[in-house]
Amino acid sequence: MTAVIETEGLGKRYHKLWALADCSLSIPAGHVVGLVGPNGAGKTTLMNLATGMLAPTTGRIEVLGGRPAAGPGQLAKVGFLAQDAPVYAGLSVADHLKLGAQLNPAWDGELARRRIGQLDLDPGQKAGKLSGGQRAQLALTIALGKRPELLILDEPVASLDPLARREFLQNLMETVGEGQVSVVLSSHLISDLERVCDYMIVLVDSRVRLAGPVDDLLAAHHLLSGPRRDPASLPDGVQVISASHTDVQSTMLVHTTGPVLDPAWTLSEVGLEDLMLAYMKQAGGGGQRQRHLEVQK
Amino acid sequence: MIWLTWRQFRAQAITAAAALVAFAILLVVTESRMSSLFAASGITGCHGGACPGAATRFLIDLSSGQTFPLLPDGANAYVILYFLSVLIILAAPAIIGIFWGAPLIARELESGTHRLAWNQSITRTQWLAVKLTLIGLAAMAVTEALSLLQGWWAAPIGKAVGLGGSASIMSEGRFGIFIFPTHGITPLGYAAFGFALGVTAGLLIRRAIPAMAATLAIFAVVQFAVPLWVRPHLIPPSHTIATLATANVTPNGGPSIAVTATVIPGHPGAWITSSGAVNATGQPVTAPAACKSAIPRNLNPGGTRAWANCLASHGVRVSASYQPVSHYWPLQLAETGLFLALALALAWYCFWRLNRRLT
Repeated sequence: MTAVIETEGLGKRYHKLWALADCSLSIPAGHVVGLVGPNGAGKTTLMNLATGMLAPTTGRIEVLGGRPAAGPGQLAKVGFLAQDAPVYAGLSVADHLKLGAQLNPAWDGELARRRIGQLDLDPGQKAGKLSGGQRAQLALTIALGKRPELLILDEPVASLDPLARREFLQNLMETVGEGQVSVVLSSHLISDLERVCDYMIVLVDSRVRLAGPVDDLLAAHHLLSGPRRDPASLPDGVQVISASHTDVQSTMLVHTTGPVLDPAWTLSEVGLEDLMLAYMKQAGGGGQRQRHLEVQK
Repeated sequence: MIWLTWRQFRAQAITAAAALVAFAILLVVTESRMSSLFAASGITGCHGGACPGAATRFLIDLSSGQTFPLLPDGANAYVILYFLSVLIILAAPAIIGIFWGAPLIARELESGTHRLAWNQSITRTQWLAVKLTLIGLAAMAVTEALSLLQGWWAAPIGKAVGLGGSASIMSEGRFGIFIFPTHGITPLGYAAFGFALGVTAGLLIRRAIPAMAATLAIFAVVQFAVPLWVRPHLIPPSHTIATLATANVTPNGGPSIAVTATVIPGHPGAWITSSGAVNATGQPVTAPAACKSAIPRNLNPGGTRAWANCLASHGVRVSASYQPVSHYWPLQLAETGLFLALALALAWYCFWRLNRRLT
């Protein structure tokens, strides 16, 4: 399968600040991809680059084999739900569906009407009077109605309460499950994505820290605990992501390609949330230590 | 895209249509008194020297004796109507730039809806092209409609002024700084320019209210600068040097000679763009010493005449640059073309910026 998003050395700079730097990714098709990272990590920038809302400062990006927003054909292939789910406050729900129908040759009016019906939205209602959740649903309906091959959702549930979040994501998965759509969605909350994503990208400080299918990521990471010792004494091929020590014991999250054979260690599985948090923390306070470790290794 | 443009523009379009209808009703209702006074004035069929008198009489009759219920007593309804109707055409392109142009992109950027609009299966170029074309044409149509209505209503005034009549503010001919840009085809150019200026300001400033203010400021400067520094030179003016007449001299109580050409012999109705006192060889001159004693102390006609005679007898003549009446339509074309070209340049810049310098 070809990549839905492929980037190489991609970077975007605002004045002197890099919002995204040195980003090389290849996201295969057919996944629900979670883009995780703290606020300001570059998630929105990456999504705006993928939809052509921004032009890269360095590097290149290809989406479904084409340059983002290169023409009507490319635009038709990508559905984008921008942050805060923008809709026209003065236009009604029905107007928005008409907008979708008028501007998208492949518009699926049946799907859009059915969704609006299921969501119990009043077609005559002005979009400005909708709740945050309803607005997100309306914007998602427009993005889905154009029958995209790739759906990009920027913080789709950020403004929703926990119940609405769950409903939105459930509804999204049901809709996506029907067709052959790849999805990339971002959130700064891992718990939102854990349930629905089978591919994860962790973005911290404008850089990609981790990317891969969830199963592979879990298989390649282990929690080691045992008597206290220097992380540097670990064998080659074992990379420490995070470590905590008490007087007598060390606990380390490690990335390893092969089995850990040292009988001194107790090996246990690591949860996805813990794994990603470790990567985010590492980039934050522990960046210095990480570099140090890599040199020793 | 046409549907979306209309849907988003609908409220403004209805407002403009309502304003246009109100303007038309006001002029249609008041036109009958104008045409009956004109018919009674004797201007039609007048001969030679009788015409300016009849014309002035008509204008004086028109601008007196009629008050409107809403206006204070003594306010001359037709003077106010004439003034307001010209002002509205003059202001229409600015208003269009402010309320149609500036928010066109700025409002989308402000509310973030550009991220919705620009992610449908239509390029930004298409999106902007449809909006600029449809709303730009509407801007030109509305402004030109206002102009044609006013031109029809004020035709008797124009005729009377053309025959040399003058009363109150009804004294500007076709080249007048308020009349020229509000009649003929120039309103088309101003409307297109005002709209494109607003759109560009909105795209650059990205916020509607400041963009509206910038549009107004820039448009006002352009509207002020063009008649002073641009229009006189759009077509090379003609030049003439004529004998000094009393009418050319304005006493100013000093030795400098305030000489203004008021008419160009053989070219009635010409627009005099600049004039001054010159000697027989065409060099600018000051008052000859011999005439210093003749400088009039006040505005009495006899003194002015004596002074003018003294200046003329010492070889002072009047030089003038002017645009003859035959230049009216070429000038109209040139000014309209200038503004249409500016509007297209601004539109081109908007397309370029929308695609290159992404949000």
